[in-house]
Amino acid sequence: MSFQSPQLAPQVVLSGHGLVKYYGNVVGLAGVDVGVRSGEALAVMGPSGNGKTTLLHVLAGILTPDQGEVWLGGERVDNLNDAARTVLRRRRLGFVFQDNQLLAELPADENVALPLMVDGLSRRDAIGRARNMLAQVGLAQEAGRRPGELSGGQAQRVAIARALVGEPQVVFADEPTGALDAATGSQVIDLLIGAATYRGAAVVVVTHDNSVAARCHRVLTIVDGRVSESMGAAR
Amino acid sequence: MNPMTDLGLRFVRRPGPGGRAANLAALGATAIVALLLTFLIAGSLGLAQRSDRVGWRSTDEGTADGAVGILKEVRGKQLNGDPLTVIQLQSLKPSNQPPPGLDHVPAPGEVFVSPEVAKQWSGLKGEYGVDKPTGVITDKGLASPEELVVVQGVAKIDSNYPNYVGSWVNDTKDDRVYALLIAVAFGIILVLFPLLSLVGQAAGVAAKRREHRLAALRLAGSTRAQVLWLSSVEQAVLGFAGAVVGLIGYVVLTPLIALIPLGGGRWYVSDITPNWWTVPLVLVAVPVLSVISALIGLGRVSITPLGVVRGQTRKATSAFRLVLLLIGPIMLATLGMGAAIVPLLIAIGFGALAVRIIGPWAVQMIGKIMANTSNGPVPLLAGRRLADDPKGAFRPVAALVLSGFVTGFISVFIPGGDSDPTTQDMRIGVALLLGLVFLTVAASTAAGAVGTALDQAKPAKALRRAGVPLSVIERSARLAAVTPVLGVGLPVVGFGALCGLALSGGQVFTQGNTGILLLIGQVVVGLVLVAVAGTAGSPVLRKASAN
Repeated sequence: MSFQSPQLAPQVVLSGHGLVKYYGNVVGLAGVDVGVRSGEALAVMGPSGNGKTTLLHVLAGILTPDQGEVWLGGERVDNLNDAARTVLRRRRLGFVFQDNQLLAELPADENVALPLMVDGLSRRDAIGRARNMLAQVGLAQEAGRRPGELSGGQAQRVAIARALVGEPQVVFADEPTGALDAATGSQVIDLLIGAATYRGAAVVVVTHDNSVAARCHRVLTIVDGRVSESMGAAR
Repeated sequence: MNPMTDLGLRFVRRPGPGGRAANLAALGATAIVALLLTFLIAGSLGLAQRSDRVGWRSTDEGTADGAVGILKEVRGKQLNGDPLTVIQLQSLKPSNQPPPGLDHVPAPGEVFVSPEVAKQWSGLKGEYGVDKPTGVITDKGLASPEELVVVQGVAKIDSNYPNYVGSWVNDTKDDRVYALLIAVAFGIILVLFPLLSLVGQAAGVAAKRREHRLAALRLAGSTRAQVLWLSSVEQAVLGFAGAVVGLIGYVVLTPLIALIPLGGGRWYVSDITPNWWTVPLVLVAVPVLSVISALIGLGRVSITPLGVVRGQTRKATSAFRLVLLLIGPIMLATLGMGAAIVPLLIAIGFGALAVRIIGPWAVQMIGKIMANTSNGPVPLLAGRRLADDPKGAFRPVAALVLSGFVTGFISVFIPGGDSDPTTQDMRIGVALLLGLVFLTVAASTAAGAVGTALDQAKPAKALRRAGVPLSVIERSARLAAVTPVLGVGLPVVGFGALCGLALSGGQVFTQGNTGILLLIGQVVVGLVLVAVAGTAGSPVLRKASAN
């Protein structure tokens, strides 16, 4: 399945300014400035333990920075309380993790529908939207199957559907192809970036994989909690 | 030291992330098992000791030849509105051994009284012909510290059927205590199933935590025997620690347990203090049962380690098990209803077995219905969880089946007026039994909830990151823990009560039997207890799924 990005005005939808994060005495982020535009895919690379995932968590409101600010769609979000950040993550952001993290007891359509139901949508409407989303990622036939009955690539596509079903402004992905073989990983990352940017959402991908980074519009390299390099990718 | 033993001990000392909570839950549940086991043993021995002290009063085994005296219990006496036991005693020949608690055999005109009667002596208004008692009966001759007893020496007992006594020191069981001992034996059998189930659940919590680790060890080349030995070492250490905590807990609670007015008043603490062999028995039995339960639970790992690692889907509960329900009616029809008690016991046994068989199936159905009709995330998650592992969800409730059914049955079926001492004993006994059962089920539910919380920690963490509030995850876990109790356990108790009602001819309504009120009250309290126990996984889930 292929998607073509619409011609959208390139607005910065998510930005972090002077982000600093400590874990006790250990520096996680040492003053990072970053911005990502609607419909843009940003890869965050760098050695292990140098702050990539911390940056993703701070931008996504999972962690709060010790210094600096995070802005989403013109609204400062780092100073929101935990409950407000939870709602923000559910309604305006999407997440894809390395090993899909789907609920084993729920079939694919209910896994995708769950965030919508948490947000108050009726079961009927939530399942309808979930199945529609699954069809868009090529899993219409697998809607009633549980994660244990799906291949790794299929499960990751369900996770992408779950991340996109709420029509988020930004999708965060933490090593989304880490548990997949090269060919399946390529398909999954193409699907993630294609489907998200087609909807005008920004994508922030933390990855070690150069082939994943090559599919993004820009690459940000983090070393020792600082941005060491920022460049446009070969896309 | 065997490397697997060494590794097992190391895992107990450093259980890894989430392991401490699992070990604490297993230890707590095992401690409750040890506490209840000690209570059952020490309570039974206490009843026997009490019986030995007062058995001489109701002996009827003597003959005129060689008898030391004649006894007679004067019935219907009261002291300040409370029932008073009055024993008349006629000595036929001198005896070196007076009755327990008395310093000599009362001569005609002498009156010995219990300390409580001595306090209220003025209330008897000279009824026994003396200004003050000859002596006070010591603890060695009393059932309870508050017992009201008068032992009166008389010159001659007039009776067509004199009750001759061969010895004043006689261990004949008191009728009331004898009935209670039988009831206790029955009760132990009923509580045994919940206790064994709790041991299994306690072992299962720690085992779940270990499943992946052990499966990894198997995949890395460890033999089945090595993996099972390692688990045995871990579980034995936890079981022993739980047994020690349970024994200490029992000793601490003994003064409170002594207040239970079963079988004729409060207890002497010494009666229910564990004796020399109870302690080693509990310290050995509890760890051994824990190890056996853990090994049974680990069968899956030792057989299909890959299945555990991959988190394969469990096999669905087969509706074929419903066919097994036909065995009971067929056996009943074959045996007939000739001897009333045998078919009744078979019917009760198969009724309980039937619930055990269809229980997981019923839980699965309830789960599916709950999930398919849900309009919110909480029942959806809870329902799918129940449907996914109905056997696991039913396990804590399985303990409730037989004991819940029988308790429900007895509490309504108890005959006689409410003031009858035997009825009162039975009522207190049933209340105690139901209390023990609910306590055990609550502990099982708590242990199960912790196990589920540990299982769910990883996806719960992902859900929280994706913006699903922790309260949704917690509420669904709570609902999944409590639903089987409400959906299966409660109907079982009700069904038992209904059978009791039918067989007693509806005397609850005709004779003002308070059993039904007692049952309802206890069930409500018990369910609240179980519901609270269902929240035991919340702090574990909160911690394990935190960012």
